[in-house]
Amino acid sequence: MRVLIVEDEAKMAGLLRRGLRQEGIAADLAGQGEDALWMAGSTEYDAIVLDLMLPGIDGLEVCRRLRDDGVWSPILMLTARDGVPDRVAGLDAGADDYLVKPFSYAELLARLRALARRRNGERAPELRVGDLRMDPAKHQVWRGEQPIELSAKEFAVLEVFMRRPGEVLSRFQLLEHAWDYEYENRSNIVDSYVRLLRRKIDKPFGVDSIQTVRGAGYRLREDGSP
Amino acid sequence: MSRIPIRLRVTLAFTIVMALLLAALGLFVYSRFKTQLSEQIDQSLRSHGDDIASLVARKDLSKSTRLLGREESFAQVLTPSGEVYATTPQLAGHPQLTPAEAARAAQASFIVTRPHVRSITGQARLLARPAPGRGRTFVVVVSSTLDDRNESLQNLRTILLIGGPVALLLASLAGYFVSGSALRPVEAMRRRAAAISAAEPEARLPLPPADDELRRLGETLNAMLGRLEAALERERTFVDDASHELRTPLALHKTELELALRYAKTPEEMRAAIASAVVEVDRLIALAEDLLVLARSAEGKLALHLRRVRIAELLGDLRERFAARLDRSGRSLVVEPTDGLTVDGDPVRLEQALTNLVDNAIQHGGGEITVRAGEAGGEVQIHVEDRGPGFPPGFIDHAFERFSRGDPARVGDGAGLGLAIVEAIARAHRGSAHASNRDGSGADVWIELPGAPR
Repeated sequence: MRVLIVEDEAKMAGLLRRGLRQEGIAADLAGQGEDALWMAGSTEYDAIVLDLMLPGIDGLEVCRRLRDDGVWSPILMLTARDGVPDRVAGLDAGADDYLVKPFSYAELLARLRALARRRNGERAPELRVGDLRMDPAKHQVWRGEQPIELSAKEFAVLEVFMRRPGEVLSRFQLLEHAWDYEYENRSNIVDSYVRLLRRKIDKPFGVDSIQTVRGAGYRLREDGSP
Repeated sequence: MSRIPIRLRVTLAFTIVMALLLAALGLFVYSRFKTQLSEQIDQSLRSHGDDIASLVARKDLSKSTRLLGREESFAQVLTPSGEVYATTPQLAGHPQLTPAEAARAAQASFIVTRPHVRSITGQARLLARPAPGRGRTFVVVVSSTLDDRNESLQNLRTILLIGGPVALLLASLAGYFVSGSALRPVEAMRRRAAAISAAEPEARLPLPPADDELRRLGETLNAMLGRLEAALERERTFVDDASHELRTPLALHKTELELALRYAKTPEEMRAAIASAVVEVDRLIALAEDLLVLARSAEGKLALHLRRVRIAELLGDLRERFAARLDRSGRSLVVEPTDGLTVDGDPVRLEQALTNLVDNAIQHGGGEITVRAGEAGGEVQIHVEDRGPGFPPGFIDHAFERFSRGDPARVGDGAGLGLAIVEAIARAHRGSAHASNRDGSGADVWIELPGAPR
């Protein structure tokens, strides 16, 4: 999962990014509305955390322009204003959700997960592909009833797969959803994480769920039997 | 009396005055009427008497002459000793005066009222007068009934006794309704006033259409409601803005702590998070202090510990206090020396105001910062000038308002309270705060305080 944080207060932005990364969520920062517009336009974010009060173009305007540009990433608006008219204005400008400062960090994470879920038309909080299960909130993965220990980044890559089961995902798509701009665009980092994942979710169970599609990328199959 | 409702009181007063007036009028009319009627009767008695007297004087009256009475009246001629000389037939042999009265009447005429006179029903009026004739003086007595007069008076009394109270009742009712309708706007205003609360401060009292005292009262009260509404609105805005300003650092603080709880594993990480949180708390404390100063000064309760303060002493350590920040931002501060200026003020508050001014110049201004003090017309002015871009156009008018910023989205971490506090402090010292853009470039912000008497 990859998130864009649009927040002009550097300390707040830094904290949010640090926290999201700890959850294995890739996060990029934009300090101004203009930056947010081109970043969201060039990368398909799974969610955008947008502060309402920004220098230059404000949050409402950013929201409106993103929707005008056809960017449909879910937007979670953050603001210190909690009046009903403020909330209405935010939602009407195209935001999907609204969180008033000071918010609970746990709630922010939960809302981001909910937004990602809604976007993919899912309803269940748990992801399921064959007998592979993932709980994004608790950060846990099981094969059958057997829990699997994954690092934050491994988890993030697997989540990208599990949100699009059966689809062929290019290395670039995987990169885009699991890493943020701070990582160099080296596609072999994707390959090495896929290798790490196979070693943890496939080999011990004698299955082969992550399939290499030559010249295209990888695919997570429901029926993982070799 | 004061416990009775106004409407009843007005009606009661009106009724009492009306009753007195009607009674006085009735008595006046009655007595005038009575006097007039009596005079008419006396007049006709006199002319009747004159007629008889002229008969006596013409000497063609004899003992046997039968005097003619007029309607319901009689005439009699007596000798001064009281014997009947001539009379209307009904009274033959009945002298109407006692010998003493006859003797008196021979001297001078008089008129009396008799309760009963022979041949006349009811009260009678009687005139006796001397009448010279045939070498001796006679006494002429004429009399007339008072029945007609009494009947007329009786009628008048009846009319007055019935008509008066009826008129009084009608007038009182009219008074009751008129005062009721005059007071109706008061009741309407009362009812609305009872319903007005802080929840709908825009509500006003209904005004009567007439341009009268009640309308003026209503307008005055409405003007007062308007002032209260404006004050309430200012208060609300302040609370809104204050809570908004508190939320940003609180959000930061909370996130910082939550992240530390969730992810910090080593003591170093924990320590770093706590140190950062302390910085946030300091910021919150400063903000709370600022808000308190503003709230108190708005209520006129900013406590000042006044003493004689030398301006030189205030400006003395300014450079030192800002040295670190000036170094960091590569700016310089020049404090021009001052000579013997003093004010009566609270040195801590004045220092706070100066700090805010310099702070503002560092944060939003540019170039060298100059602090200089001077005196003009008994007022001490302390200027803080910079050589930056100056205030944005249109901002100067709002520079001292609470939560006002040059850029609507925050720049730096100021809450837009600094200059508002400067003004609050200046005002608490019975001074003022001003801002302008310098001719060349840069901003000039200064406070003006009443100078201490030398």
